[in-house]
Amino acid sequence: MAIKLPMRFRILHHFCQVESASNQQLMDALRPEYGTEGQFNSAIFNEHLMSMRAGGLIEDKAVSFDPEGNLVQEFAVTEFGKSRMKYLPKSWKP
Amino acid sequence: MANGVEAIRGVGTAVSAQAARSNLELRYAKKGLMWALISGMGWGLGGVLIGMALGMAPFTTGATIYTGALVAGAMNDGLGGIYLFGYNVYTGRWREIFRTLKTWPGALVCIAAVFGGPIAMGGYLMGIELAGPAYAMGISALYPVVGALLAMIVLKEKISRRVWIGIACSVAGAIIMSYTPPSGDHPHFYLGLGLALLAALGWGVEGVLSTYGMEMVDPSVAINLRQATSSVVSMVAVLPLVGGFVMFGKALQTFSSLWILAAAALVGAISYWSWYRAFSMCGVARTMALNITYSIWGIVFTYFFTTTEITASLVVGAVIITLGSILVVSNPSEIIKLRNEEV
Repeated sequence: MAIKLPMRFRILHHFCQVESASNQQLMDALRPEYGTEGQFNSAIFNEHLMSMRAGGLIEDKAVSFDPEGNLVQEFAVTEFGKSRMKYLPKSWKP
Repeated sequence: MANGVEAIRGVGTAVSAQAARSNLELRYAKKGLMWALISGMGWGLGGVLIGMALGMAPFTTGATIYTGALVAGAMNDGLGGIYLFGYNVYTGRWREIFRTLKTWPGALVCIAAVFGGPIAMGGYLMGIELAGPAYAMGISALYPVVGALLAMIVLKEKISRRVWIGIACSVAGAIIMSYTPPSGDHPHFYLGLGLALLAALGWGVEGVLSTYGMEMVDPSVAINLRQATSSVVSMVAVLPLVGGFVMFGKALQTFSSLWILAAAALVGAISYWSWYRAFSMCGVARTMALNITYSIWGIVFTYFFTTTEITASLVVGAVIITLGSILVVSNPSEIIKLRNEEV
């Protein structure tokens, strides 16, 4: 059983496994692992996404409106982000 | 035909969604600039507040001339760590602290904290005590220069012409500032400046270390770990060397200086937090450029809160160091261009 990663590490790991993901898709994917924690909310996920993008780990992919008219931003991992996977604990390395 | 209309509609939505994103980001970037400025003002205010506390009992009666500053530094970072832990409990991420400690970037945050904490913060506060906050802040603002030079040596990064000009500018500013000591009783003025330079060195090293995966750590957790490590290392490894524990005990009981220190630690923690917030909203270059204005804010707050004389060489030196450091960390033409071109 792998150790539980800090959530941002897990977000990066998830981005390395999918083509792209939005805030909502990311939350749906990580809910089984982090869903019960206080930090599991859309605002904190957004903070992570914005700061990971500023740090060059992920980049903008697609953008669209959902049926309710809300802006949905999708992000994808960058080459630099992929290279950071080397800092993951052994049990999480690809 | 119907399909054609659908396709056009699809394109229209995509374009307006991109426009909406671009507007959202412009608003976001503008807010980020505000946070970056708050981080610089906060750092300037924090330094002046610590300087005021250092001029009061029990910090003036240390076993060595370094004791007061080092005890205040340990307390400042310890209090900051406590505030940030409170924030992390409130936002439901305290478990992240222990998870992060088990990773290499998390361990790196702690290693960097030794350079940024006892070494840099210690040097910075001793500089504030011996040379006054305005001067110590000015010299410590050379840290991007040290960072750039270290990156050239350690990371084999090439230094561009713009950065060399910035470095030359900053060094010239430092010489202008330190050429004339302030009037009044500052017997250890140049020692103070040397210690402020040690701060620049410590923060420069911290900056280089942070390129090894620190951007993977949640900033609220990173600052929390940093302040806690810094405080613990100070208490275990530094305070015993300078007879600090006696003063530490007294400082905890002296309310008049304790509350100023507590306020300084709060302002310092807010400054760090705003730094990271700004970083994710308007980018690292703009954030560093606005944060580095702290030495100018330091002069402003020194003017309002203390009796230190503000000389022309101090102001001119601080402004030149700040401009030089801005050139080192960023390209001014890119800083002004807030809107992302590739819409």
